[in-house]
Amino acid sequence: MSAIAAFVRSPALRRLGQVVTAATLVYLAAVPLLPQTNDATLFTYTLMLTTIGVAINWNLTGGFTGYVDFGHAVWFGIGAYVTAIFMSTEGNSLQIGWPPVLCILLGAVVSGVLAALIGSATMRLKGPYFSIAMLGTFVAMREIVRVAKPVTGGGVGLNLPLYLNRPLFYYVQLVLVAALLVFTWWLRRTRFGSALVAIREDEVGAEMRGINATRTKVAIFSFAGMSTGLFGGLWAFQITSVDPDTAFVELRTVEAVMGAMLGGIGTVIGPVIGATVLFWLNEVVWANFLDFHLIVQGVLLIVIVLYIPRGLVGLFDARGPSVITLLDKWLGTEPGDTYGDDRVPVRAGLGSAESGEWFEDEVESDPVLTGGGTEPGSDSERATV
Amino acid sequence: MSQLLQALINGIALGGMYTVLVLGFSIIWGVLGVINFAHGEFVMVGAYLAWLANEYAGIDPFIAAPAIFVVMTVVGFVLQRVLVNRVIDRPHLVSLLVMFGVSIILANGMKLIFTADFRRNDTALDGSWQLLDGVTVPVTKFFVLLCALAILVGLSAFLQRTRLGKSIRAAAQNREAAQIVGIDVKWVYAVTFAICIGITGVAGALISPILAVQPFQGPPLTLKAFAVTAMSGLGSIKGALGGAMLLGVVEAGLAVYVAGIGTNLAVVASFVVLVVALITRPQGLFGGLRPVDATAT
Amino acid sequence: MRRHWRRTTLLAAVLALIVAACAEGDAPIENALETTGADVAGIDDPPLVVGGVGAVVPTGGPIMTGTIRIGAALSETGKFAVEGRDSRQGYDTWVEWVNNDYGGIDVDGERYAVEIVYYDDESDADTAANLTQKLIDEDGVDFLLGPYSSGIATGASAISEKNNVIMVGGNGTSDTMFERGFTNLFLVATIASDYTRSGIQAMATEGATTAVVAYEDTSFATAVADGAQRHLADAGVEVLAVERYPKDIQDVSAIMTKFRDLEPDIFVGGGHYNDAVMFVNSAKELGFEPDGMLITVGPSNPQLVDELGGDVDGVLGPTQWEATMGYEGPYFGTAADYSAYYEALWGAPPVYQAASASASGLALQIAIEAAGSTETDAVREALRGLEVDTFYGPISFDGRGVNVAKPMGTIQIQDGEIRVIAPDGAASTDLRYPQG
Repeated sequence: MSAIAAFVRSPALRRLGQVVTAATLVYLAAVPLLPQTNDATLFTYTLMLTTIGVAINWNLTGGFTGYVDFGHAVWFGIGAYVTAIFMSTEGNSLQIGWPPVLCILLGAVVSGVLAALIGSATMRLKGPYFSIAMLGTFVAMREIVRVAKPVTGGGVGLNLPLYLNRPLFYYVQLVLVAALLVFTWWLRRTRFGSALVAIREDEVGAEMRGINATRTKVAIFSFAGMSTGLFGGLWAFQITSVDPDTAFVELRTVEAVMGAMLGGIGTVIGPVIGATVLFWLNEVVWANFLDFHLIVQGVLLIVIVLYIPRGLVGLFDARGPSVITLLDKWLGTEPGDTYGDDRVPVRAGLGSAESGEWFEDEVESDPVLTGGGTEPGSDSERATV
Repeated sequence: MSQLLQALINGIALGGMYTVLVLGFSIIWGVLGVINFAHGEFVMVGAYLAWLANEYAGIDPFIAAPAIFVVMTVVGFVLQRVLVNRVIDRPHLVSLLVMFGVSIILANGMKLIFTADFRRNDTALDGSWQLLDGVTVPVTKFFVLLCALAILVGLSAFLQRTRLGKSIRAAAQNREAAQIVGIDVKWVYAVTFAICIGITGVAGALISPILAVQPFQGPPLTLKAFAVTAMSGLGSIKGALGGAMLLGVVEAGLAVYVAGIGTNLAVVASFVVLVVALITRPQGLFGGLRPVDATAT
Repeated sequence: MRRHWRRTTLLAAVLALIVAACAEGDAPIENALETTGADVAGIDDPPLVVGGVGAVVPTGGPIMTGTIRIGAALSETGKFAVEGRDSRQGYDTWVEWVNNDYGGIDVDGERYAVEIVYYDDESDADTAANLTQKLIDEDGVDFLLGPYSSGIATGASAISEKNNVIMVGGNGTSDTMFERGFTNLFLVATIASDYTRSGIQAMATEGATTAVVAYEDTSFATAVADGAQRHLADAGVEVLAVERYPKDIQDVSAIMTKFRDLEPDIFVGGGHYNDAVMFVNSAKELGFEPDGMLITVGPSNPQLVDELGGDVDGVLGPTQWEATMGYEGPYFGTAADYSAYYEALWGAPPVYQAASASASGLALQIAIEAAGSTETDAVREALRGLEVDTFYGPISFDGRGVNVAKPMGTIQIQDGEIRVIAPDGAASTDLRYPQG
């Protein structure tokens, strides 16, 4: 073990890690109470939490089961629209005016049910065909909402009653994101979670081992749809108006995919880190480069995909080229054995409750990024295009 | 009756446009296995080149097209060597995301250069021919269709008759076998990608008098190319024609015969047709350069 | 299990850094027009000032008591970058004029300089809403000027309403925004549903009896088309067919085929600039020749004539404002004077989006002076009671906050020139009907 590796594994640093993690949580919980915090800060944080939440949801199917959903934002839009339809009391709507909480929950349920229905059809498709079918679903849904004018207000959209309470929304979304994170972490430890990864690794093999692949993947797809629908409903509530072009935005899918990719696809904590970094990166790049910021984003995306396919989490993962091995090389503290000493126990310990295992998912064997177990470029892989 | 005939003509004219738009995308997918998410942006770049040629040298887009083919072929070749080569053997998500990055860079780069203002190209081949009373043929689209058919025939002959074309087909069907018989697969891939980007640039030049040219026109065109290709079979030239015509006629028919919201429905239709086609006929409607089975693991 | 903590530590450190970065956020682009009219080279390139509150001291003008801070989220990037730039130049023209030529806003005998804090909303509604909140809370602006486009203004206006800050806009005209009972939202421009009124009336007077309508299914275009159908009915014109089409449409020949067979007198259509190009081309291709074509967006833009040449001759279009209109007021002088002032600053004549933006600032200024205060309640009252003639036309707000005094102008492209043909007070020439 190198000196660096030894240092980062020392008990003192471990203690520091606990302190920093705890401090981050306390800070986030206390943000609305800080004197310099105003509604603008909270709104920014809330939008960030929305991005994180959607990225976590996308990762549930895109990362764990390997079904790359290119139309995930459709559930966001449906959640937003159902909330708006049942909540709006103004002229261009059905004027139902139900209580907000009920409307938002209803939005989530409708998203979940539709995700189950659409998913059971589209999830029969594999690889890029599934991605394209979902992209098509997304575009078609936006047009359907436009055409269904009597219910949705058509292209004009709907206005919601003005009810803005930033601290409340912030806490609701903070709790939601935290709950989602804990849920994902727990999920990875269940039999169901293992089944998801088994489908990603080898769907036919998984079925032969008695996993009902169809039911499993549609279930998680539906859950992800429901959860994203929930964020959509909350978003509609806060932005106070929806129309097809603001509720159904391709960029929301892109941000979710990029967040998960940047953080580490198929990991528990990856989407959170990726979406957070991306959100603030956007703010900074955008403030300083203006016209160039989208170009910078495009370059960034290519660099991430080509050079750090396992994401930021992968950088701190000792299995491949990582910050630690680079540091070792740079300082000349070449390790005899950088990693591997306790690798096996981690794999064996899938059921334990160590929080550190959030980063222990088998990123390197992710078929989405590495081509799975098949020889890259071999016919068996290529025939499935 | 004249309305039906007009709807058919509109549909076929639209189909001609879709055919020329989809060819490059379909063959890149079929041969390299790369989904070119930046397809629409290459169309856009071609359209800008045609606009430049017309604006500053007064060259008609139909005449500028061969020159644009050469320029875009070089662009495609360089891009293939620098970037696409790295992602060919990687899974689809990788190439999809890399090409998505390219599309963002192209669209916003062109915006920096040309601003977001709409440009429209002129051609001498415009106006319409009166066929019958109440039935007209749009001239520009008619010539786009002619060009599409010419490219189609040329491409078929190239793939069927020439040595290079046969190598491309071999590489698409079985890469390892192709390597064993001495085909330089990397070279074949680079040439294929270059030619396809060339054709895509030509498509941009041809549609520049029909659609206004602007930096963000790409994504809807990419989606259409997706829909037609997935429906008709990867790299299938016949399929590209068939799928494009089918889509064109369905869209034109819906738009003419459904009052009020027909045009909206046409947009939905292309994606509903896509999803239904994928699920019910996962091997594609026409069969292509390589086996397609959307539901195979 | 130690290695888990190593990773936790590093990740937590990254998170902590990110959280720390939040405190910094993004830098506002402050308008630092400290220049005189002659020295405008730097205007294009305003310095980025982080949190600086430098009072603007105009050279050679009277001493300013203080500064009135105004905030605006505008699109500098994204799909509305062009219109956003025009709007910003319009706002800056007003700032330049009020600080250097006029000598500052007169609040109860004391002069105040104007300073605008701009942010780029990236043509995105979420971002605009967020930035509006930031302008109010962090930059402490006294008033807001409107963003470009209805979709973006809708979210922003809800936040200004909730925070009781007045927002005066000129470039987000969709009706739905003004049907929510907001008390702090004002529009100096003509509302979307009235865009086609003067054009339709002019054609009906010339004998048009039937019409068809096609519109893009978006908030603004729908409001225009709904209004058009009402104005057609009022003018006794029968509507034969109404067609909706989606955004980013690539082909309108089906719609035009249907319309051709109905043989209407008037075609009313609209959405984006691109749609205007397609309508004109498609009508020509299919041999569809109505007596009058009124297209919402496009005809008033000189670029359309450049690109389509003779094909657009005779096409009509609504316009909020043209430099040739006969409007005049105590500020800026005539429409032509304003145009000259603008051109001296920016090197090109103003489009109506820029004039609308300048007029928004002007309306706010007049109301502040009338109120003799910068308190929201007093200024709101003054805005409600406003009745004034300006270079932009008369301004007087109704209960919704919409300027109902200024009629929408209509232009016709005649021999490659954009000529105002309606309303009577502003027209410079007569309508040619049929347009052929």
